[in-house]
Amino acid sequence: MEIVEIRAATRRDKTPKLFATSDERFRDAKPSPVKGATPDGWLALPATQMRLLNYRFGESGMGEVWVSISSGTVPDNVNRWLKQFGAPPLDPAALAKLRTVPIAGANGVWVEAAGEYASGMGAAPKPGYGLAGVVADVGGRILTVKMVGPKAEVEAARPVLEAYAGGLKMAE
Amino acid sequence: MENDPTAAPKAPSRSFAGKLFDVLSGFGLATILLLLLGLLTWFATLEQIDSGLYPTLNKYFHWKSVFLLPEVQGKMVPLPLPGGYWVGAVLLLNLTLGGVIRIRKGWKHAGNLIAHFGIILMLVAGGVAHHFSERGNMAVGEGESSDAAEDYFEYVVEVAEIKEGWPHDIHVIRGRHLDDLTDGRGRLFRLPKLPFDLEIAGWLDHAAPVSITERAPAASERVADGYYLMEKPDEINAEANTAGCYARIVRRDGTKSAPFILAGASFHPFSVRHEDRIFTVDMRKRLWPMPFTVKLDQFTAEFHPGTMKPSKFVSRITRIENGGEAKVTIQMNEPMRYEGLTFFQASYGPPGAGPGQRMYSVFEIVKNPADKWPEYSLYIVAFGMLVTFLTKFGGYLASTTRKNRHV
Repeated sequence: MEIVEIRAATRRDKTPKLFATSDERFRDAKPSPVKGATPDGWLALPATQMRLLNYRFGESGMGEVWVSISSGTVPDNVNRWLKQFGAPPLDPAALAKLRTVPIAGANGVWVEAAGEYASGMGAAPKPGYGLAGVVADVGGRILTVKMVGPKAEVEAARPVLEAYAGGLKMAE
Repeated sequence: MENDPTAAPKAPSRSFAGKLFDVLSGFGLATILLLLLGLLTWFATLEQIDSGLYPTLNKYFHWKSVFLLPEVQGKMVPLPLPGGYWVGAVLLLNLTLGGVIRIRKGWKHAGNLIAHFGIILMLVAGGVAHHFSERGNMAVGEGESSDAAEDYFEYVVEVAEIKEGWPHDIHVIRGRHLDDLTDGRGRLFRLPKLPFDLEIAGWLDHAAPVSITERAPAASERVADGYYLMEKPDEINAEANTAGCYARIVRRDGTKSAPFILAGASFHPFSVRHEDRIFTVDMRKRLWPMPFTVKLDQFTAEFHPGTMKPSKFVSRITRIENGGEAKVTIQMNEPMRYEGLTFFQASYGPPGAGPGQRMYSVFEIVKNPADKWPEYSLYIVAFGMLVTFLTKFGGYLASTTRKNRHV
């Protein structure tokens, strides 16, 4: 097929960044609004649009931890995570009973689940997985720290995750 | 029986063509078609809540949709319905045959005939808009200018030569040539003005480039430079979908480059060096250059008291063309119509902007050859009904006068 359609340059066109690497082309290079110290044994990965801080952990290499600023409310995010493991949503009374932990100068709710993990991102469901994480309202923004991976590895890494969340700092 | 003198005289038997004409021009068919249009509109209204407006409109009213099964709250309704486009097309035929050709003629029926012409014009306007209209949006900040709209949905691949840091000769491969390249299908796009061609395959309507260090490919996705395209389920708001595909440069000597990813969700284009020339290959929503520049001088929004529900958006713009300037105000229900384009006030931003914050205005831009036809058709229908009323009223007055004369 021959392409003959040529459009004029417009004000929307801009000087392109030439010879950008794939990392530069596909990752958001903006500095993260959240800072954290990488725990021993975790592998720091480049950030993505949805993951401000991004890690791998565990012997299997399948464990993932990431920090995000999410939309919605604290209950919305808790129940979205639980739904990914097929767990029923929590009502306000059950949410109020969740343990709270310090995170970035605020307090967040600690969430745990286990079972078949369906991220809903087009990936196949993964049986035998575990979840641990924190959801907090930090100055009007919903900050989440989420750990998913093989159940035993998540259970073993919970104390590290809790300490990591407590050490997070907002950049401003 | 055949020679029974008491039998009622037989109507002459109609040919098949005659019977078909009777059905197609009949009032019964018109009633069924109008009921179907009502049903389609009702189901589409319910289905768009879960499926989104754009996919639902395509499912119910696109010409490619001949039959469909409605879904309500995610459950299929076992009621096959014809596509709305084709119901409208048959209604157009029915109105033409029944309301224009078959209808009784004469000055007493002139009003009916005129009204039917009006409705036919409205149906034709729908068809023309379906096939020939274009839509896009333009966001402009206060004090800034824009000369291009962006398509809401169509992703294209653009190949440009970079000269003095700026794109030139921007070749556009339209979405309609790309979106069938799924399931291993590929296509070679010849670029005769450039020193290479482009081979594209593996199109996905909604996908994100993912690093294999971050998430291993779940199936047999192709990997290019450590990344693959992870397919995502369509967004309810289809404008938020980001397309993706794989491409290769095919040089004039037949050699090919390594595959690379083109994605709507990318920050920079892919660059190609050929001898001392540099080119970029990029995927983006189609840009639609305007024949003039729009500068947003001022944007104001007013809200209903105590709510965030807008009562009025007003954009004061300067339209700049060939060195001349014209001041124009665009607001809700008062679009700017110029050179076959209509600029509607669509929205604004940033959301929740405070006092003194710099605003931007978003215009929906429509190019529709049948833009004013529905309005004209309403005038024609109203005129036809007025003629019908006056004809009937005149007849009534005449008969009353005759009766009075006999008293």
